[in-house]
Parts: sequence; C-alpha cells; structure tokens
Amino acid sequence: MSGDEDYKRMFHQALRIRLVEERIIDLYPSDRIQSPVHLSIGQEGAAVGVCNGLRDTDLLFGSYRGHAYYLAKGGDLKSFFAELFGRATGMAGGKAGSMHLAAPDVGFQGCSAVVASSIPHAVGAALAARRLGKDQRIVAVFGDGATEEGVFHESLNFAALHDLPVVFVCENNGYAVHAALSARQAYSISKLPAVYGIPYTRIEEGADFVAVDKEFTTAVADTTGPKFIEIMTYRSKEHVGVADDFHAGYRTDVEFRDWQAKDPLVQDTALVEEYQPAIEGEISEAVNFAETSPLPAPEDLLADVI
Amino acid sequence: MTDNPSPSEPLSYAGALLETMRGALASNPHSIIMGQGVDDFKGTFGTTLGLADEFGAERVMDMPLAEEGMTGIALGATLNGLYPITTHIRADFAFLATNQIINLIAKYKYMFGGLFEVPMLIRAVVGRSWGQGAQHSQSPQSQFAHVPGLTVIMPADSQSILDMYPYIVENYRGPVISIEHRLLYDLEFNVERGDPNRLENPLTSRLIREGSDVTIVATSIMVLEARRAAEHLAKTASIECEIIDLNSPSHPDADLILSSVRKTGRLVVADTSWRPYGVAAEICRMVCENDPSALQAPAVSLGMAPAPCPTAKSLEDAYYPNLTDLTDGIARLVVGREQHGVPLADETSMRDVYKSFKGPF
Ligand SMILES: Cc1ncc(C[n+]2csc(CCOP(=O)(O)OP(=O)(O)O)c2C)c(N)n1
Repeated sequence: MSGDEDYKRMFHQALRIRLVEERIIDLYPSDRIQSPVHLSIGQEGAAVGVCNGLRDTDLLFGSYRGHAYYLAKGGDLKSFFAELFGRATGMAGGKAGSMHLAAPDVGFQGCSAVVASSIPHAVGAALAARRLGKDQRIVAVFGDGATEEGVFHESLNFAALHDLPVVFVCENNGYAVHAALSARQAYSISKLPAVYGIPYTRIEEGADFVAVDKEFTTAVADTTGPKFIEIMTYRSKEHVGVADDFHAGYRTDVEFRDWQAKDPLVQDTALVEEYQPAIEGEISEAVNFAETSPLPAPEDLLADVI
Repeated sequence: MTDNPSPSEPLSYAGALLETMRGALASNPHSIIMGQGVDDFKGTFGTTLGLADEFGAERVMDMPLAEEGMTGIALGATLNGLYPITTHIRADFAFLATNQIINLIAKYKYMFGGLFEVPMLIRAVVGRSWGQGAQHSQSPQSQFAHVPGLTVIMPADSQSILDMYPYIVENYRGPVISIEHRLLYDLEFNVERGDPNRLENPLTSRLIREGSDVTIVATSIMVLEARRAAEHLAKTASIECEIIDLNSPSHPDADLILSSVRKTGRLVVADTSWRPYGVAAEICRMVCENDPSALQAPAVSLGMAPAPCPTAKSLEDAYYPNLTDLTDGIARLVVGREQHGVPLADETSMRDVYKSFKGPF
C-alpha cells in the first residue's frame, strides 16, 4: 500500500471520529445524551496512529476519554450512539454511557472513569498472553495526569520485573482537568520509564497520525518486554462537556491555534470536502438508529449484576 | 435555640460549604485545604472558589492525582500541627484513599494507646443523575461508618453544614468524613445563625419534623424526599410522619430514634446507598437489639437497587427510590394494606431538581 493510501485511510478514520464528536456537540443541548462526555477532539491522531497497526485480537484498555479509541479500534458506530442515548441497543444496553465504552469483539477491553485504574489491567492481560502463548499486543492508554497515581508506578514496576509485553501509551495533552502539567508533576514523564528499565519513545506530533503510526510501530517492533510511548497531543474542548473554555483563564487559545496549524483535519480541506458527506450520512444513520431504538426494559436494571 | 433567634435566611448548600471553608481558613491559621482543582475557576463546585486568592496557594493547595498520597500527607500534616481538609469531587475517588483512611487514620489514636490525635476533615461528594454511571455515584457512608475510629457525617441541608463544619474544624479532635451530595449543592435552605454553640453535639441525628404515625430515618438527599413525602401525606391522608435526619451514620442518636419508634410503632429507613449491610440494616439492628417490641409492623427500607448504577436515564430513574416509592411505602405501612387508597405523590419531587440538574458534573 502506498504512503498516500495510508494517509488517506487514516485521515478518513480521524475525520470520522472528529465528525462523530462534533455531532455529539450539536446534539448535546437537546439533552438526548445524558452522560458526561470527555471529548477527544484534537487527540484523534494519536488514537488512529496507535490503532492503525493493531489487529482485532490485540487488546487495548482505555479511559473515560474513550470515544476516539473505541472507534479507531473498530467499535460499532450505531451501538456507540445508542449507548450515549441510553438505549437497549447500546454496546452495554445503556449501562455504560460515554465513560465506559468497550468492544471486546475488536479487542477494546473497556474504559474506566477512575483515573489510571485500567493500567494494571493491561499488565495483567500481558501476563495472561504470555502464559497462554497468545500472539497479542496489549496496550494501556492513559493521560499525563494518570502518571501521578500510585497504581501507574506499581504497574510499570511489575511489567518491567516480569518483562511483560505491554505497551504503555501516555497521551500527554498538557492538562489534567484545569491544572497544567508543571503545577502537578515534579518529575518528567519521559524520564520515568528508564527508572524501571522500560524503553521510551516520544512522539512529538500527535496530530500527525502517519507519524504516530510509524513511530509507534517501530517502537513496539520488538515484542519481548514492556514499552513506553508518550504522544504529545492537544485537547481542544473543555475537560468534560462540549464547550470551549479558553475564557476560563487556565489556558489560552494561542496554543489551540498553534495546534490547528498542524492538524491535518483542519489543514487538508480538500480531503475533508471529499470525505465529509459520506461520513455525515453514516453518522446520521447511526443517530437515527439510536433515536428509534427502544429504551432498556425495566428488568434490565437487575440483569448482569452477578 | 437562643432567646432571640435571628431570623432565618436562605442559603444554598454550596454557599454554606463555601462560608464554612472560608471560616475554617480564617479562624485557624494552621488549617489547609487540599484537593484536585480546589484553586481552579470552578473551585470544587463553588465551595472553595476564591479561597486560594484570599488565603494563598500554600493553604489552598491543588493536588496531583494521588488520593492515597494526599490522604497520608494530610495524616502526617495533622500529626505535626496542621488542620487538613481534603476534598474528593466524587466519593468514589475516596476509595483510592481507603488504605490511609481505614488502616491508618481510623486507627492512629487507638493503635498507639492514645498517644496521637488526628483531627482532620475529608469531604467527599456523592454524584447522581446525568449519567454519572457506576463509578461516579457511590455513597460510601456504611463502608466508612463500619470502621471504629471514623466519624462519618452526611449533611442534608445548609443548616447542618453551618452547625457541623465550624464545630469540627474548631473543636473536634478526631478524623471526620463528610459525605456531601452534589444534587443538594444548588438548593437553597433556610438557615438560622443564632448561637453557634446552641447544639451540645452537632455530630449526631436531628429531629426534623414531629409526627405520630410513622418514624422516617433518612440520610442526605432522602431527608428532603422525606420532608416532601410528609407534607403530601399530611395533606392528602392525615398521616403524620416524624422525620429524623440521621446526619451522622457513625454516631446516630439512638435515644432519639428509639423513642420515636416507640411512639409511632412504625419505621421507614430511607438511605442514599444500598440497603444490605447499610444504614437500613444498622437502624433495624438498633431497634431489634434494644426494643424489638416497639415495632407494630415490619420495618420498611428504601435505597438504591442492588446493582451498580446504570447510566441510561430510564434505568437510573428506576435505580433510585423516588417520592412515589416513599409515599407508597409509608402509606402501606401506616394503613397496613397494599391497597391503601392513599393518593401517591406525583413525580414533581426531586425529579424536578434532577431534570434541571444539567450535567455533566
Ligand atoms: C482516581 C480519580 N481521581 C480523580 C478523578 C477526576 N478526574 C477525572 S479526569 C481527571 C484528569 C485526568 O487527567 P489526565 O490523566 O491527564 O487525562 P485527560 O483527562 O487529560 O485525558 C480527573 C482529575 C477521577 N476520575 N479518578
């Protein structure tokens, strides 16, 4: 496959994710989505680049900011919108909402809304993969803030100690809620993996999905032990919710404009024009599916507890 | 009550929290507030807003994502003379700190034979509605109240906050966990300021309404539901409910509850969490062990359905007990029949609040 085809395919995926989330923004005031949403707008390139080389049998564990990875990993769009609408046809029958997406059929193993709590799950999955002789890549995706939690360090140590084939992917968007990295961390994320003897790769241009794919693939080519990949990226909307928050004072829109200048989804207008209509059609179909789907049955409330 | 009670005035729950947080910093130069986002432009849903500017970032400290670390740091700080107040914007995140809270803080005095005291306040906010889902909605009063050494409170209105927080910060020598409710934050309640020391012990149960037919023991937002149920039942069926706000799950006023149940002969417990091994179970234990003959009918309890919290609104509506469930439960108990004929309160109750509570947080 030529480089150009690669670019176009990943561009299409990234644009699809963005348009899905922009549709969520449009729908939000109607109250049809009654679930807190942590949007990935600005961060699509990381998800698309990381997932490009992954197979359905490769496992990925995510966070509440999970829309992009759910879609990039191959999660179904209709059951995504149905889930956000709280419908019986959602991927969890309405029990998950936006924060707990999963699609085990394509190796998307679940999102937790407790920061850093799914990192050890990837380590455990890697332990299982090795013991059971499974040919799998196992990926944990988390934010920069998650590296402050104790369980992050416990997970790195165990993975390194047992040389487990797990890939730690830190999406560094510079903020945890409204607090900048420098106000929270006395360490440099880039130096931590070395403490545990884990090879570290920094991917500077998170918006450039082709670069993310290439550098990620190179970094994880050796499948014997843990790897740590930090992807520099940018969240353009407020931490949770659908609004812009540059007026709030904790960041300026200068960094946003710098980011936009590098964002292929903003720059490559020709390709946006080419792809947008079909994608919008697919999204409308999914939204319509969600809207016309039944609500969960009352007895579903107590189903699947044990 | 003072002889000249000052007139009551409206104050929101969040307003009472902000007032008492400011008071804590102003009255004691050694007090500090620590928590994620305490200094940002949202200021812990308005309850620490502006305090970092007013008192300095060293006393109102934004925290990294490190709940256990923060809580252990608070323990060390109180051991060495500071008064720490820590915050969790969801009570669920306090579960990451349970090692420090349960294994250390709860035991620090006892385990060392009284050599240490660890006065501190941990604030944890319960989420509800707008798709909070399984991990942003838990109400951990019984987990913490189960452990000797912890004082657990659940303010149900602004008055309770004004009565308890200054008392805790200024006078109380033990660790307190306050479980606040996010949906109460924007509601206004009438408060009387009066004499701040009018209550000998504010950290126990409160009589909210007198009545002769049934005793309702409620926690947090369920106190509000109980008030509405009581009004409805008095109006439509002349059923008089006595309401007790449990207020302190760890240190309930057993005399108040038992004498009320002896008087009414009927008990309803309405809690914000699950029923098994929880507040409902505990109040029933209290009655069974002390005066089982006080009950003229089996007790009734209401709580969350025995499941994790679903996100979909339609399921969430069924998950939490509402005013209809409460009036139905009380009417069945008092009338003594399933078909009690009492008109049920319609769904204007808290659903109005939940509806107007627009997420996400
Ligand atoms: C244990 C825990 N503490 C606090 C929170 C509240 N919270 C939700 S997201 C978040 C910020 C996380 O930042 P980061 O890891 O950088 O990820 P990002 O949101 O930027 O993608 C916080 C503090 C939480 N969900 N879980």
